Amino acid sequence: MPLRAARVGRVGVIGHPVAKTAVVAKAVTPGAAPVARTAVVAAAVTPGRGLRRRI
Amino acid sequence: MAATETVMTDRSLDELGPVDYLVVEFPAGVANFTGEMAKELLALVDAGTIRVIDILILTKNADGSIEPMELSDIGELGELEALEAQLAELLAEDDVVHLAAAMEPGSTAGVLIWENLWAAPFASAARRSGGRLIANGRIPIQAIIASIEADEAAATEGA
Repeated sequence: MPLRAARVGRVGVIGHPVAKTAVVAKAVTPGAAPVARTAVVAAAVTPGRGLRRRI
Repeated sequence: MAATETVMTDRSLDELGPVDYLVVEFPAGVANFTGEMAKELLALVDAGTIRVIDILILTKNADGSIEPMELSDIGELGELEALEAQLAELLAEDDVVHLAAAMEPGSTAGVLIWENLWAAPFASAARRSGGRLIANGRIPIQAIIASIEADEAAATEGA
């Protein structure tokens, strides 16, 4: 189906062909991320529960 | 008056939150639309977390050609009908080609453009305080995993 006329002949806002983020998409897909890794990441980004020191 | 004009006259540029986009691809044969996505999107809108600026549905044919669809081209919009009336049609024809570059032939994708309303008050406050945004971005979960695993590997080697 055609785009609305308002979209034609205008300068776009994206500017360049976008790159596929396949790896990210796979990891955030429910069920695709290993449970153990999810737990580790959740802990790492939870205030007060970081698994390591910065320095 | 177009929705875009209404939005820009109601709110000053200083109060505009950051605008993001995403493309969600549904490979051929795996789409399972139950209305769950629409429900979650509307919940974000109703909570004032985001404002949906634009939505497009793209299909990439086996030969690489692209067929765009407006949200209004979908027969039964259901709860999305109210949302459709508010869209600002920000994306241009050029953008369709750029966004579809990431799609696999034979797939369908939803393109969503939204304003992060939650960030606008903080951004305005930062500007009023003399601050200016010099960098922002998203950290992929994979990068966090890789960083943690590198730490673990280093600790194992050092043990």
